Amino acid sequence: MKNILPYLPFLIPIAVIQIALAVAALVHIFRHKNYRIGNRGLWVIVVVVFEILGPILYFTLGKGDD
Amino acid sequence: MNGWIAFTKKEFMEQLRSYKALTLIAVLFLFGMASPLLAKMMPVIFSQMPVQGISITIPKPTILDAWVQFFKNMSQMGIIVVLLVFSGTLSREVTKGTLVLPISKGLSRNAVILSKYFASIISWTFSYALAGVTACGYTFYLFGRFSAPHLFFSLFCLWLFGAFLLAVIMLAGTVVSGNYGGLLLTAVVLAVMLAVNVFPRINKWNPVTLASDNSSLLLNAKTVGDLSAAVWTTFSLTVLCLILSLILFRKKKL
Amino acid sequence: MEILKLDHIQKSFGKLSVIQDLSLTVSEHSLFGLIGKNGAGKTTAMKMVLGFLQPSRGEIRVCGEKVTYGKTQTNRSIGYLPDVPEFYGYMTPKEYLKLCGRIAGQKPEQIRKRTEELLTLVGLANVNRKIHGFSRGMKQRLGIAQALLSEPKLLICDEPTSALDPIGRKEILDILSLAGQQTAIVFSTHILSDVERICNQIGILDQGRLVLQGDISDIKSTYRPDTVRIELAGPSGVSVLAEKLQDFPFVSATEVKENAVTVRLAGVEKHGHKILELLVREQSPVLKYEVQESSLEDVFLEVVK
Repeated sequence: MKNILPYLPFLIPIAVIQIALAVAALVHIFRHKNYRIGNRGLWVIVVVVFEILGPILYFTLGKGDD
Repeated sequence: MNGWIAFTKKEFMEQLRSYKALTLIAVLFLFGMASPLLAKMMPVIFSQMPVQGISITIPKPTILDAWVQFFKNMSQMGIIVVLLVFSGTLSREVTKGTLVLPISKGLSRNAVILSKYFASIISWTFSYALAGVTACGYTFYLFGRFSAPHLFFSLFCLWLFGAFLLAVIMLAGTVVSGNYGGLLLTAVVLAVMLAVNVFPRINKWNPVTLASDNSSLLLNAKTVGDLSAAVWTTFSLTVLCLILSLILFRKKKL
Repeated sequence: MEILKLDHIQKSFGKLSVIQDLSLTVSEHSLFGLIGKNGAGKTTAMKMVLGFLQPSRGEIRVCGEKVTYGKTQTNRSIGYLPDVPEFYGYMTPKEYLKLCGRIAGQKPEQIRKRTEELLTLVGLANVNRKIHGFSRGMKQRLGIAQALLSEPKLLICDEPTSALDPIGRKEILDILSLAGQQTAIVFSTHILSDVERICNQIGILDQGRLVLQGDISDIKSTYRPDTVRIELAGPSGVSVLAEKLQDFPFVSATEVKENAVTVRLAGVEKHGHKILELLVREQSPVLKYEVQESSLEDVFLEVVK
């Protein structure tokens, strides 16, 4: 536990960003029906499994046009 | 002018509501934070790798290592993210036909290009600056200092390269149609510049050096003078790309 | 005053000639229906008016000002509604209209006032959702609001009803005829009943040529093929009656169908009583005697052929 302490200033922002991105992506996925690539199931899995990268891929490639 | 302001506002609204801003800021911030951390942890990471028979001695990481990491991440992954986020900004509107109504209202075509470029460069500048400040902060936290030789100029070079890339994206969007055409063309332009970089006589002028020689600058292997030619060509090419986009977009079928 | 003037316009895409020598004028307060089959050149003509396409030859003037391809000044006097308007889905109708108003250079309070008026007119006043969930009909209505925002002198609608269901169509037509009280409207369509319902002037476009232009009532009366339909109680005697009708010099053709006979003749006002006299003389069991009005469809089919 003592080893982690110096790294807290890193872990906290990373966790916040991870969670924020994932939540934003999931909310978007469930509010929309159309995706440019793939389907809802695929993107839920990608977003949940691949942290940070998943939501980014969704927002840049998967998200349909509004 | 009215049209330009209104459309620029719309661009910012789009970046926010389509999560482009969020993505860009989050990613660049993470790079800014992770780079010094990775540099600091390198010895730990290596020491935990089972290497049989050979003992690797890794020098104690320094501030320079932190910034080398930063430029490595930014110039590769960072640029790719910028490409992904902004590549569709023009072509998607053209394919979808969302520009028809604003233009039928009297929005000038120049304003479309200029608004888009302006909004994207503001986003790039903001998120890049955030990443830079973050990197400074964490480097200071981990190493006790953050300054390195030519740091500011080095940061400026990579920023300028980003600005140039955004102009290329804009031009690609006016030349090629389709959702991924612009992305592809920009990638091709990048690949060509990287390939050309092999020839030492040209690479003095090559914009790519602004994204690849940052470490050499930090290590004092190159001087500001070595890169000034590239800075000027990049700046000129950026302006050229924008002017070409304006001219070509005027005749683009919507 | 001439709001729109097309002067000998030609347009070809490569070798394919889409518009051949199209000239037309639209004056103030006219609700002009541009009729044509699919591919007759309606959309092309409209896009040229908006400066989205370059005419191969000829000149277009909007309110006296020349339209230049790639420039957008003349568009300030025009409101445009494409057949399928595309909006920014992440905006609400109000935000979208605000963007449009700002682009057109309107003042904030003017935009707010017009937005309210227009959203009420098109029935979207209380819709604060984002546009991406809108139905076709809602988008079309927002499209009209957007087109009318800057109080244009000319409203151009490209097939505004063709993608809609009957209710949506009726709504759009009602809104357009209301809007027509304040602005000139050019309205392209291939649905003739829509034109009959709201337009006062028509132009028929066929293979890139304007084959007919004018006042809708004038056109209908000039092209009226006088027709009388007589329906008898039973099928017996119908053909005998038809033969006797055929003997009149003014009757050009008769057609028997079950217990009815359709007579084409010249001058129903002048000679109609002779037919009635014949019916009385023959003591025919008449159920129905009907002078048929020509529809726009007849006119259209006749000129397009």
